Amino acid sequence: MQEDSKVPLFKKWSHWYFFVIGMLVLLIALFYLFTKQFS
Amino acid sequence: MTTVDWLVLVLTLLGIISYGLYKSRTTHNLEGYFLSNRSMPWGLILLSIIGTQASAITFISAPGQAYTDGMRFVQYYFGLPLAMVVICIAFVPIFNRLKVYTAYEYLENRFDGKTRTLTSFLFLLQRGLSTGISVFAPSIILSSLLGWNIYWTNILMGGLLIIYTMSGGARAVAYTQQLQMVIIFAGMFLATYMVVRMLPEGVGFMDALHISGKLGKLNVITTGVTKNGFNWSDQYNLWSGIIGGFFLALSYFGADQSQVGRYLTAKSVAESRVGLLMNGLVKVPMQFLILLIGALVFTFYQFNSAPVFFNDTQIARIEQSPLRDSFHVAEKAFEKIGQQKKESVTAFSQALHAGDEVQLAAVTDELRFLQKGADSLRTKVKNWINSSQVGGDGNDTNYIFLRFVLDYLPPGLVGLLIAIIFLASWGSIAAAINSLASCSMIDFHRRFSRKQIEPQQEYALSKWYTLGWGVFCIVVAMFTYNIGNSLIEAVNVLGSLFYGVILGVFLVAFFLKNIKSGTAVFWAAALAELIVLTFFALSKYKVLSLGFLWLNPIGAISVILFALLLQPLFSKKENPV
Repeated sequence: MQEDSKVPLFKKWSHWYFFVIGMLVLLIALFYLFTKQFS
Repeated sequence: MTTVDWLVLVLTLLGIISYGLYKSRTTHNLEGYFLSNRSMPWGLILLSIIGTQASAITFISAPGQAYTDGMRFVQYYFGLPLAMVVICIAFVPIFNRLKVYTAYEYLENRFDGKTRTLTSFLFLLQRGLSTGISVFAPSIILSSLLGWNIYWTNILMGGLLIIYTMSGGARAVAYTQQLQMVIIFAGMFLATYMVVRMLPEGVGFMDALHISGKLGKLNVITTGVTKNGFNWSDQYNLWSGIIGGFFLALSYFGADQSQVGRYLTAKSVAESRVGLLMNGLVKVPMQFLILLIGALVFTFYQFNSAPVFFNDTQIARIEQSPLRDSFHVAEKAFEKIGQQKKESVTAFSQALHAGDEVQLAAVTDELRFLQKGADSLRTKVKNWINSSQVGGDGNDTNYIFLRFVLDYLPPGLVGLLIAIIFLASWGSIAAAINSLASCSMIDFHRRFSRKQIEPQQEYALSKWYTLGWGVFCIVVAMFTYNIGNSLIEAVNVLGSLFYGVILGVFLVAFFLKNIKSGTAVFWAAALAELIVLTFFALSKYKVLSLGFLWLNPIGAISVILFALLLQPLFSKKENPV
C-alpha cells in the first residue's frame, strides 16, 4: 500500500469526512420526515 | 422448487466457484495470499467490505424484522458512517505505515506480545463462533422451508466456498464478492418489483407505503423515550444506533480482521479511505431499501391471506401437541381477521385515492384495531410454540421473506433468491475464514513456531489453515441449535461481547500515548471483558434491563478507565526508579 497525498474528488480529506457526516445528518432528517409522513 | 429453479441455483453457484478459481492466481507468499499484494482499487474494496458485512441473514432477517417490528432496525447502522471517518483518520495511516498483515500485529509494536496475543485470541474465538452461526443460520431456514437435510445444507453452505477461498486467498474472496454483490442487488431489486406488481390493481407503491406506515411499519426514526424516560432495554432507536452502533462499527471495521483484512489489500491509503467512506455513504440507504422490502411484503399480506406463523416445521410441532385444538381456534380467528383486514385495506386505498379524510381516519382506526387483534393472536401462537408443551422456537422473523418468495414468486426467481442466500453467506464466510487463517498464521504460527520455514511453505501452510477454519465453522454450525430470536441479532450479540474490549485496546493504543505499559493494557482488557460478561449475564437473567448495543461502549470505556488506573502501578514495576 502506497502512502499518497492526492485526495480524489475533494481538495482535502477533511472535506470527505464532512461530506459523509453531512449525508448522514441529511438521511436522518429525511427518515424523520418519512416516518412522520406515513405514520 | 421447480426444475428451472434448480437450474438457476446450480448454475449460479457453479459460476461463482469457477470465477473464484479463475481469479485465484496470486504470488505464492503471504503478501499475495492474505493481502493480494496490496493492489486493489477502491471499488473492489467497497464491494468487499459490504459483501463481508452483509451475510445471508442480512437479506433474510431484515425484511422479516421490518414485517414484525417495523423499519426502525435501520437506526442500528447510524453510527457506521461516523466510525468510517474515525477509522480513516486514525487507523488506516498507522496500519499502512507499519505494513501490517493483521490489526493485532500493531499492538505488539505499541505495547507487547501478550496484548497482541490476547486481542487476536478474542478475535479468533468470537469470529470462529459467529461464522459457525453464519453457516447455520441460512441452512436451518432453507432446510426447514425446503425440507433439505440440515447437515448436508450446512456442508454446502460452508463447504463449497472453501474451494476458491483456499485456492486464491484474499484476491479470490474480493473478486467473487464483487460478482456476488451484483447478483444479490439484481435479485433483491427484482423481488421488490414483483411485490409491488403483485399488489391489487389500483394499489401502487405510494399506497403500499401509506398502508404499512399507518400500521406502524415505517417507524424509521424512534427516540426510545417513553413517558417513564429513556428505555435502556430498547434495542433500536436513534441514540442506541448512533452511540452503540458507532462503537460496534468502530470495533468491527477497525479491530476485526475480517474487515481490516479487506482494506489492507488496497493499493494505496487513498483507495482504502475512499472504499471505507463510500461504505459510510451507501450502507444506511442500502439497509433502508432491504427493510423496505419487508414493509412492502407486509402490505402484500394485507391483501392476501398470511399464515398465522411462517415456519411450517414449528406448526407441525404444535399440531402434534396437546395445544392442537387451541391452535386451530386461533388459526380460524386469524383467518377471519385477515378477511376483515382485506376489506378495510381496500376501503383505505379507495379513501386515499378519493382524498376523503374523514373516511380515511375511520378506516385507519379500524385497520389498527384489526392489526392489534392479529398481532395478539400471533403472539399467543408464538407463546404456545415456546411453551414446554410444544418445546419449539416461537420466532418466525427469519422465515417471513423466504416463505413469501416460495409461495408467490415465479419459477426461476425462486431459484435466484435461494442462490442469493448462498452467495451472501459465501461472501461473509469466505472473508471470515481468510481472516481467521491470517491471524492464525501471522499472530500465532509465525511467532510461536520454533521451525523456520520458506515463504512458499508459509503460503502452503496458510491454505491448510484456511481449510481448517472452514471445517471448524461447519462443525460449529452442526452443533448450533435453537439460538432463538432473530439470527442477525444472535451474531451481533456475540460480537458485542468481545468487540468493545478489543476496540478499547485499540483506542488506548491510538489516543492515549502516555499509556505505555503492555501489562496494564492486558489486565485492563481482561477486567473489562469480565465486566462486559457480567452486564450480559445480569441482562440475560433480567436483573438489569440493557440492550446489547450498550455492551460495546461499556467494554471500550472500561478498558480505557482500567488502563488509566493500572498504568502508574505497572509502569513503576516495569521501569523501577
